[in-house]
Amino acid sequence: MTRIFTVRSLEQVGVGQTAAVADVPGADPISLRLLEMGLTPGIEVAVVGAAPLGDPVELEVRGYRLSIRRREAALVTVAS
Amino acid sequence: MAEAVGPGDPTRPLTVVLVGNPNTGKSTLFTALAGIPTRIGNYPGVTVEEKVGRFVHRRRAVDLVDLPGTYSLAAQSPDEAVAVDVLRGRMPGVAPPDCVVVVADATNLSRNLFLASQALELGLPTVVALSLVDVAAERGITVDASALARRLGCPVVPVVAPTGSGIATLRDEILAAPAGPRPPAPDLAAHLAAIDAARPAPARQAIARYAWIDDVVAEAVTRSRPARRPLADTIDGVLTHRVWGTLVFALVMLALFASIFRLAAPLMDLLSAGVDSVAVGVGGLLPPGALRSLFVDGVLAGVGGVVVFVPQIALLFLFIALLEGCGYLSRAAFLMDRLLVGAGLSGKSFIPLLSSFACAIPGIMATRTIENRRDRLLTILVAPLMSCSARLPVYLLLCGAFVPDVAVGFSWLRLPALVLVALYALGVAVAAAVAGVLSRTLFRGPPQPFVMELPGWRWPQAAVVLERVREAAWSFLKNAGTLILAMSIVIWALGSYPKPVLPDGPELSAAERQGEALRQSFLRARALGAEGEEHHDRQGDVDPAEEEGATMLVRRLKAATWDGTDRKVFSLSVALSIMVFFALCAQCASTLVIIGKETGSWVWPVVTFAYMTVLAWLGAFAVYQLGTALGW
Repeated sequence: MTRIFTVRSLEQVGVGQTAAVADVPGADPISLRLLEMGLTPGIEVAVVGAAPLGDPVELEVRGYRLSIRRREAALVTVAS
Repeated sequence: MAEAVGPGDPTRPLTVVLVGNPNTGKSTLFTALAGIPTRIGNYPGVTVEEKVGRFVHRRRAVDLVDLPGTYSLAAQSPDEAVAVDVLRGRMPGVAPPDCVVVVADATNLSRNLFLASQALELGLPTVVALSLVDVAAERGITVDASALARRLGCPVVPVVAPTGSGIATLRDEILAAPAGPRPPAPDLAAHLAAIDAARPAPARQAIARYAWIDDVVAEAVTRSRPARRPLADTIDGVLTHRVWGTLVFALVMLALFASIFRLAAPLMDLLSAGVDSVAVGVGGLLPPGALRSLFVDGVLAGVGGVVVFVPQIALLFLFIALLEGCGYLSRAAFLMDRLLVGAGLSGKSFIPLLSSFACAIPGIMATRTIENRRDRLLTILVAPLMSCSARLPVYLLLCGAFVPDVAVGFSWLRLPALVLVALYALGVAVAAAVAGVLSRTLFRGPPQPFVMELPGWRWPQAAVVLERVREAAWSFLKNAGTLILAMSIVIWALGSYPKPVLPDGPELSAAERQGEALRQSFLRARALGAEGEEHHDRQGDVDPAEEEGATMLVRRLKAATWDGTDRKVFSLSVALSIMVFFALCAQCASTLVIIGKETGSWVWPVVTFAYMTVLAWLGAFAVYQLGTALGW
């Protein structure tokens, strides 16, 4: 289990870094879509790049590339 | 193989539904199975494309229904809702499916199995087509089809759609499936039990489903290090590079724009010349009179007005299909997204809006690549504000004639050029403001997701690309074209009947006289436009005679005075306000027709015409008042 004060979101993971998804805890449609796209607890996700203006970011998850906006990345909590 | 006969009447065509994630080679598979679609349209009441093709295999006819590419069957988007309705046999006009074919991309099995596992829960006869196995092999990914079939409880057929490998087996399995055993629903119970029961059901389902998928993938997929780095990955490396990737993007967009702006022009001239020569030829055969006038000024003028758009549409869709086929369309949206978010749009609006600088008609048709309904409608509504190539001659003429050719700051920066740029910027700024306001008022709603797959590089398939171009051109000719033609005939009839009476005759009513004055002023405006167009067409030439012709027009414009006075018609303020009016006003009937066709409602062309006309009048008024106050 992650300790309570080390919870961070995927938005805070820098380009070139990798993290494990802790959860997508929201009940909103976008959170559900993120789960459906494979960002499920325990999965490794790499932030491989960002668009020239910094947003959205490009992820590698489950062997494919996924683009999400920073606002959406903030919905994903990651384990340190 | 045993004689495969589906349930019920063997002479009835089987209904087979093709589902799959986007970018899985589903279109290529559709083409490989069924060839050119026999029916393309929209499902009733929604702007979701319906595509059906027919093939005959072992003397059994099969209707193949291609559903839009979706990631899930949770019915969150209109595409998903349509997919669920068709699969459950609830879609009017589509027979309940006898069999479901799920396309699963072998390079990316885990995410693809999410949709497949949902499809299996429908309890319909199911066949999994394992696509892109060749690409997977290059990357060192091997999928054990028989292990996968055992775990899913349904046949799994590896296919390489472009070469046709596996297609015959897939057809056999499709025919056999309706009579075979139904696949069991994936057993998620154990995985569901491990998840906090307080969470919403869809989230629990999704997490449990992936846990189940991870088990299946562990059994069926083996990965090894590829012998050499696949070419596709090298290309990907360049395209996603911070510097090279941005440079390539700029070049690709420049090529796209140049092709519809420049390359299409000679083709359009050729088509116009062709229609004109037919008009001359046929006009000579017919006796002068109403029939000849109807044919030449009504029908042929209308045909000319329709076909002239086809080269731009075909070229733009050729580009879009190529970009989509090699997986670059999503990347373009990714790179441009931030720029458009502020206006309440998304990166997917970029190519349609860019294309609208050449012509709004192909631009609006290109919004078909935007899945989000709200974003698509907003993009359609503001696309006509991008200054199209038809506005350029007016700008060039008036800037050249009335904007003083003085330097601004630098000797090379001339005022007319600056005004020209400002007019383009005005269209963009107003479009951003309109989209921004609409997205916060009329189109207000929950935040729209921009969760988008960025597919890796792959080679576009010629058959799929050509089909896309053919379909775009054909749907334009069939839907919008017939309407534009009909309008042209109606306009001809209005202009020809009743036969014009002599102006200023005593029998003219006040209303008629006013109408006549209005008509005269429109005729003048039209003549001006035609001369301007000619001027634009010839500006590249250096023929001194033509050069003189253009200067003549400018001189005449400058010399024009109001009837009976020596007051000049055109001052700088007047010229500027006319240009602002042109930049903002919806003056193209064909654009309004295409808006009606693409949105499936006559409300939106009316809204577009109304808001643009109001803005154009306000803008022109403000510029004129400001200019006059400043003594321009």
